[in-house]
Amino acid sequence: MRNLLRKEMLLSASVLSYLFIPFGLMFLLPGYPILCGAFFVSLGLFQSFQSAREANDTGFSALLPVAKKDVVRARYLFVCLIEAGALLLMALSVALRMTAFSTSAVYRSNALMNANGFALGVALVIFGLFNAVFVRGFFKTAYRFARPFVTFIVLTFLIILAAETLHHLPGCEAVNAFGTDHLGLQLCLLAGGVILFLLLTGASCRRACADFERIDL
Amino acid sequence: MIVEVCGLRKRYPSFELADLSFGLERGRIAGFIGRNGAGKTTTIKSMLNLVHPDAGSVRFFGYPLVGNETMIKQRIGYSTGTISWYPRKKIKDIVGIVKPFYDTWDDAAYHKYRELFAIDEGKTPRELSEGMKVKLNLLLALSHRSEVLILDEPTSGLDPFSRNELLAVFQALKNDGVAVFFSTHIISDIEKCADDILYISGGRLAAAAPKDDFIRQYSRDGETLEDTMLRLEGGEADA
Repeated sequence: MRNLLRKEMLLSASVLSYLFIPFGLMFLLPGYPILCGAFFVSLGLFQSFQSAREANDTGFSALLPVAKKDVVRARYLFVCLIEAGALLLMALSVALRMTAFSTSAVYRSNALMNANGFALGVALVIFGLFNAVFVRGFFKTAYRFARPFVTFIVLTFLIILAAETLHHLPGCEAVNAFGTDHLGLQLCLLAGGVILFLLLTGASCRRACADFERIDL
Repeated sequence: MIVEVCGLRKRYPSFELADLSFGLERGRIAGFIGRNGAGKTTTIKSMLNLVHPDAGSVRFFGYPLVGNETMIKQRIGYSTGTISWYPRKKIKDIVGIVKPFYDTWDDAAYHKYRELFAIDEGKTPRELSEGMKVKLNLLLALSHRSEVLILDEPTSGLDPFSRNELLAVFQALKNDGVAVFFSTHIISDIEKCADDILYISGGRLAAAAPKDDFIRQYSRDGETLEDTMLRLEGGEADA
């Protein structure tokens, strides 16, 4: 797996996947739909799938002395590492906005959603959807990725719309908590995001392994 | 037999590979000949588990391919003349990534064949001619001491001098006990170096025999192997 991951990072990946990780810092932007940062990170990952396909990576990997399912697992691992890098930057941004910038007027007067545990949880759901809809969709054929990516885009923007709207609904203001307000709720929402990410990623990886084993290359 | 292909069948909407059976032996070169679309690549892909046959089995070293793929792929090499891997990456970077996958990677063999094929490690595959791309793929296959080499049209795109060099490499590998299986539609390549001829036509193995037996059985007086193949392909495959 180590060798396959090295191949993913050095041969298959597009440099854009790495360059787009800092979009996680969009969690620091006031007056901007911060969850778009998660979408841009996914866009960077999409570039890796495109460049890998152009480089005949799937056929090359399938010919290596490794189990076919490990080819899929290595790609999932690479995707998760990029997502983890972006999540780390998002988490740092959330920590800054919850502490040092918790009273900052520019964030307090922000009409859009705040960067907090809930936002981080939703970012995790977006990454989970990328893995379940796009990555798994790609491995159904190992070359078609337009439909899975368009499906992912539509779902992601519906989620961003819902997340941005939620705190404006009566009774839901707490999801947009500042600083350490409603910390218990924020942590629960974050944990919900983690659980959904793990479920979506784990289940889709298993199904992608089965699909990749079945298809003709 | 080091490789046994038994009753291989694969049906596509417009093509069918029908009950293909043959074997390969150590230290012999088998030429797999047929026109474009005859089923050569489908057969090779089935032998590598890239395509899943509807029926039949493939065994390497006595082990079925299904269930032993990782072990078998350590001991075989594959090269194609039609695909270029990672066209924008430097060759030395590609080699650096591939090398750790093989327990039997042989640096001495790698350097020997790299010099023989005059491959510049600092170049990218897209900077190579078609013939040099074939040599690069072959270099990767030869550098891990493969016991079986499966080559899909390795001589296509090569100039006559490079083809001769390559055929000489096949002979040297054969002498080392390697089984070489190569598909081609260039009959003179078969004539020069194959010990066995497998002739596929319309998805069926129309003939399979040691070269001398093949010529004795199918060639008419004064006919070259090329004349024979053209006549057979012209409608006398069952002759």
